[in-house]
Amino acid sequence: MLQIDGLRKAYPGTGGRPATNALNGVSFRVEEGEFFTLLGPSGCGKTTTLQCIAGLEMPDSGTIRMGDAPVFDSEANIAVPANKRRLGMVFQSYAIWPHMTVFENVAFPLLYGEKRRARADVRTQVAKALAMVELGHLSDRPAPMLSGGQQQRVALARALVHQPRILLLDEPLSNLDAKLRDSMRTEIRNLVKSVGITTVFVTHDQVEAVGMSDSIMLMRNGVVVQQGSPRDIYLRPNSVFTADFMGRSNLVPGTIVEVGEIAAIETNFGVISGVPQGDFRPGDPAVAVIRPQAMSLVTEGGVADRSNCFSARIASLNFLGDVVETEVVCRDQRLLLMLSPYVQHAPGDEVLLHVPADHCVFVPPEETAGEARSA
Amino acid sequence: MTAVAHHAPGRRSSRFGQQEVTLAVLLLFVGLLVLGPVIILVRTSFAPSGSMPLETWRFTLEHYVALFSSPSTWKLVYNTMIYALCSMCIGVVIATAVAWCTERTNMPGRSIVRVLMFSWMAVPALVVGFGWILLINPGNGALNVLFRTIFQVKGAIFPLYSFWALTIITAFAVVPTAYVMISGLLRNMDPQLEQAARVHGGNGWTIIAKVTLPLLVPGLLSIGIYMFMAVVQTFDLPLIIGLTARFPVLSTRVYLLSSPDNGLPNYGFAATFGVLLLVVATGLMWAYLRATSAGEKFRVVTGKAFRPRRIRLGGWMPLALGFVFAYCAVMALPLLMLLWVSLNTAYVTPSFDALPGLTLSVYSRVIANPIFVRALFNTVVLVVASATIVMVASALIGWFTTRSGSRAGKILDAMSFAPMAIPPIVLVLAIVLIYLRTPLYGSIWIIVLTHSTIFLAFGVRTMSTALIQIHKELSDAALVSGASWFTSFRKVTLPLVWPQFVNGWLWVFAHSARDLTAPLMLLSTTNVVAASALWNMWQFPDLPGTAALSIMLMAALLLFVVPFQIYTARRLETG
Repeated sequence: MLQIDGLRKAYPGTGGRPATNALNGVSFRVEEGEFFTLLGPSGCGKTTTLQCIAGLEMPDSGTIRMGDAPVFDSEANIAVPANKRRLGMVFQSYAIWPHMTVFENVAFPLLYGEKRRARADVRTQVAKALAMVELGHLSDRPAPMLSGGQQQRVALARALVHQPRILLLDEPLSNLDAKLRDSMRTEIRNLVKSVGITTVFVTHDQVEAVGMSDSIMLMRNGVVVQQGSPRDIYLRPNSVFTADFMGRSNLVPGTIVEVGEIAAIETNFGVISGVPQGDFRPGDPAVAVIRPQAMSLVTEGGVADRSNCFSARIASLNFLGDVVETEVVCRDQRLLLMLSPYVQHAPGDEVLLHVPADHCVFVPPEETAGEARSA
Repeated sequence: MTAVAHHAPGRRSSRFGQQEVTLAVLLLFVGLLVLGPVIILVRTSFAPSGSMPLETWRFTLEHYVALFSSPSTWKLVYNTMIYALCSMCIGVVIATAVAWCTERTNMPGRSIVRVLMFSWMAVPALVVGFGWILLINPGNGALNVLFRTIFQVKGAIFPLYSFWALTIITAFAVVPTAYVMISGLLRNMDPQLEQAARVHGGNGWTIIAKVTLPLLVPGLLSIGIYMFMAVVQTFDLPLIIGLTARFPVLSTRVYLLSSPDNGLPNYGFAATFGVLLLVVATGLMWAYLRATSAGEKFRVVTGKAFRPRRIRLGGWMPLALGFVFAYCAVMALPLLMLLWVSLNTAYVTPSFDALPGLTLSVYSRVIANPIFVRALFNTVVLVVASATIVMVASALIGWFTTRSGSRAGKILDAMSFAPMAIPPIVLVLAIVLIYLRTPLYGSIWIIVLTHSTIFLAFGVRTMSTALIQIHKELSDAALVSGASWFTSFRKVTLPLVWPQFVNGWLWVFAHSARDLTAPLMLLSTTNVVAASALWNMWQFPDLPGTAALSIMLMAALLLFVVPFQIYTARRLETG
């Protein structure tokens, strides 16, 4: 449905600063009906990518194809303007026009868009779109008299009313309070799935990304870092950056000692086996990524096989209610793990840690610095 | 393609979208309006005398030699500077005092004063000037006659035709504009800065002297330079008072050279004086921009709307009230005098004995005059066309300067701001030089063209400030919804800045009606407007007729401006 190849965009430097490369050869593909998320820290190029898809920014080079036809192709000199791309978009600020009523806002794409509809048609379609977001009763309300959540729904109705080819969502949840954000997350996902529309979603929040998407593309400094299902990205990060960005992990540096389907790494507290992400040869530096939830405490003799088991001492416990955040020391290495609130431990207890090999992932170290972080 | 896209990050559509066409048209329009006159002016100043502009390829420095070797040139520059400096200082001091009373104290009647001040901007300086002449001319000026009978003295108490009379009358004329700017400055000042001084032990006067005034200095400085520039550029008051007082300034000199009472106009020499005036004004503009950016550093004026704490006047109340309302009374005097004169068929000094003789016959005589009908029609065409052209162009230019960020947008911004530094008299002279031989010359449209240029800078400032506050996503949403660029502008952007659009429209409307410079220098048999008709009747002389027409013009302008000001003032007090 949406195919992007080699997208590049540089912003000229202002005031003597060098030009910044917002996009550095971004390529990806979104399937029909897929909920696709562009994820990354601010300044990674995710919003620029979305603006390029919308036609609000002009890439320097590359191609953007929607369906069968290109909407942007720097080689063929094609640049379809935003208003002819048949898209729907929800903006970060919602961009609800304050001088119109709810009805007028939603009717706008039908009245002034590419394919103008007859008046009678407009009425029924707007009513349908408002019913879909459960705002049918607010049709005549002036737009400024809406709450944040209601504005969000109006923006959704406006983005869907003209049956666009693709729905673009630009951090639509970032302006809502925490509780509303949780409920809107499920609601948006259910809505776009019931409509069956291809959706491109931009966010910097990994919880949103994991909870809503069919597929996630993680970006950094204008390049794609990793793409895959939420499960893949969370459990099989291909880099320290992904591991760190997707949630808390223990990052343990070491040296590869064994390769294969299951590889092994020598760290400062022993040899761990795990799944390698990337091409390693014995002797290569690598980082073991162990999620705090991947480790468990076992009793002597509780496991048949003592591999990937390490004795450690509990350094601190932080009771949070649903979990107990626990820090253990394994030789010189501090590790973070989550314990059940029903298990009783005290600082200083000697314990036995178990890391299942398929819960541990090896990734190449960061090029910039080999610093080990455990957090 | 790549190169083009790189240089124009804001480009949204393929080669010839609505946006590109509009931008090209605007660049051409503003270029013709602004750059054309300046180039012609400079060219003419280098042309040999006796030749018509645009008809010779010879270049000569003779006018510049004459200009710099004549001692009268330096006298003119000195006159202009000292006149502008004195008027500006008096005007800014009065305006600051009044603004402080209405914005920062609990003086009663402050809303009325505010409405009066804003509305006063619509009163033509020309009309006020006539009023003052009738009040204090040395022969039969009403005040002079009054004081003569009271004190049994000979001669004139108030010497109208003198440097100081001209300066003070000009100062009164600049007060409303200075007031509007200074009250904005005071209103937007963060009251916490003063509260902090109070908490740390400062008393009322210490706070004013040590906190309020120093914080205001950068803002006042830039307003002072702006008003100085405005006085350097004024033409009407130096014309009606300064010439008789034998106090020529640069603007009246340009006028006399290009429209002499007898003999041929010396366009080359006039253009040279015009270039001199242009250089002076550009220097002031530069100083103004520097001062404004220095003011930015203090960050006293933020976008936030504050509710400044009002100082309780207590025992000072009568003084403040007396000062503000005495000032308003002095402002009203010339208008009352005009009203009096317009109600008598021949000039009579105001007195109770003359009351029964009052009549409206002068009004019916003026209205019956065919010139009146023509002037009325032309004035309506002039003010409506100028205001509409300026504001539509300004809204579009404002969009490009605030949104596109492209090089073309920056050029457009700079060009549309340039008329601020071109004195109207110089611009009109240049327009005479360009269009002298075209059919446009002598029609009302040449005045429309001139006013469009003069007021463009104001319009673009107004619309840019308004547009910069509109979130970009609002118009992006319209584009993504499928609306064309023009539809999104018309249906989303323009409605959102409509109040500022109307405000700017009214401002241009009023200023176009009150301007004498363009109508007078471009006057023909067919394009007479209210201001030039006034001048003609005054010169004739037909004092009651002039007075009646002045009163009608003023009433018509206030009819439009006052309701809008009352509405705004109400919103300010409640909001």
